[in-house]
Amino acid sequence: MADGPNRRAVLAASAAAVPFLVSGCRGVQVLGTPPPPAPDVRLLRSAILTEQLMISRYHAVLAGPAASSGVTAKLSALLTEHEQHLVELKSRLIVPAGSAASARPAPGRATVPASLTDALGALSAAEHAASRRLATELLTVPPALAQLLGSISASEATHVPVLDQLRRTS
Amino acid sequence: MTGSGLSPQSLTALQAALAAEQAASYGYGVVGAHLNASHAQSSSANSDWVAHQLARDSLAAMITAAGANPVPAPVAYQLPVPVSTPAEARSLAVILEEKVARAYLGLIALPEQSLRALGSRELTAAALRGAAWRRATVAFPGLATSIK
Repeated sequence: MADGPNRRAVLAASAAAVPFLVSGCRGVQVLGTPPPPAPDVRLLRSAILTEQLMISRYHAVLAGPAASSGVTAKLSALLTEHEQHLVELKSRLIVPAGSAASARPAPGRATVPASLTDALGALSAAEHAASRRLATELLTVPPALAQLLGSISASEATHVPVLDQLRRTS
Repeated sequence: MTGSGLSPQSLTALQAALAAEQAASYGYGVVGAHLNASHAQSSSANSDWVAHQLARDSLAAMITAAGANPVPAPVAYQLPVPVSTPAEARSLAVILEEKVARAYLGLIALPEQSLRALGSRELTAAALRGAAWRRATVAFPGLATSIK
C-alpha cells in the first residue's frame, strides 16, 4: 500500500517519457533527429529566420565601402559559419511538400549602420542576442535538436569577441 | 544509491564531463609549462587552468550530492599530442577544449533543464577558450568528430 503513490508516480513518469524516448531513440547519430512536433517546427523556423537575417546583415556590411581587406576576411569567415548553421538547421526542418511553411521566403536585405564601427557593434550585439536566445530555446526541445542549438549558440558567442576586436582596431 | 534525483543517464553524462575536466586540469599544467612565462598566453593558460579546476570540483560536488561517487582522475594521462614547443602547447589546449566542449554537449541532451543550462554555459565557455587558442572560430563547437 505504501508503494501505491510511488508506483503511480513511476507509471505516470514512464508514460510521459514515452514520446521523448521514441523521438530520442530514432536519432541514433548525434545529429540525427526525426520530424519534430509542431512547437519544435515553429522554433526551428524562427532559428532559421534568425540565421538568414544574420547572413543578410553580414552581406550588407561586406557590401559597404568602409570594410578593409583584413576586416572583410574576418567577416567572411564568420559569415561562412552562419551559412553552415543555416544548412544544418534547414536539414532538421521536415515539412510536407507544398505546404505554406516550406515556401516561406528568406528575409530581404538587412539595413546596417553606415559607419563600419557602428556596423560591427550592431553585428556583435546581434550575435550576442542570438546566442542567448538559442541557449534558452534548447532547454525545451528534443535532445538532438537541443545539442545543435547549443553548438550554434556557442559558435555565435565566439563571434562576439572577434567582432569586438575588429571594432576596436578598425 | 537512493535519493540521487538524477537518472543513470544524467549521472553518466556528469561523470563524462568530470573526466574531461580532469583531463583538462592535467593537460593545462603541460600547456602552461611550455609557454613563455612572460607572455600573455601564459596568463591565459593559467586562468583557463583555474577555470577547469573549478569546473572539475563543481562537477564532483554535484555527483556527490546526487548520492554517487565521482570517478577519480587517472594517475597519469597519455597526451593526445606530443608537446615540446609553445605552438604544440596551444594545439593541446585546443584539443582539450574541444573534448571538454563535447562532454558538455552531452549534458545538453539530458532531460533536466538545469543540466542542459549548465551544459550550454560550459560549452560556450569552452568554445570561447578554444577559439582564443586556435585564433579562429568554428561553426559547431563540441559537434566536431575529427578529434579522438
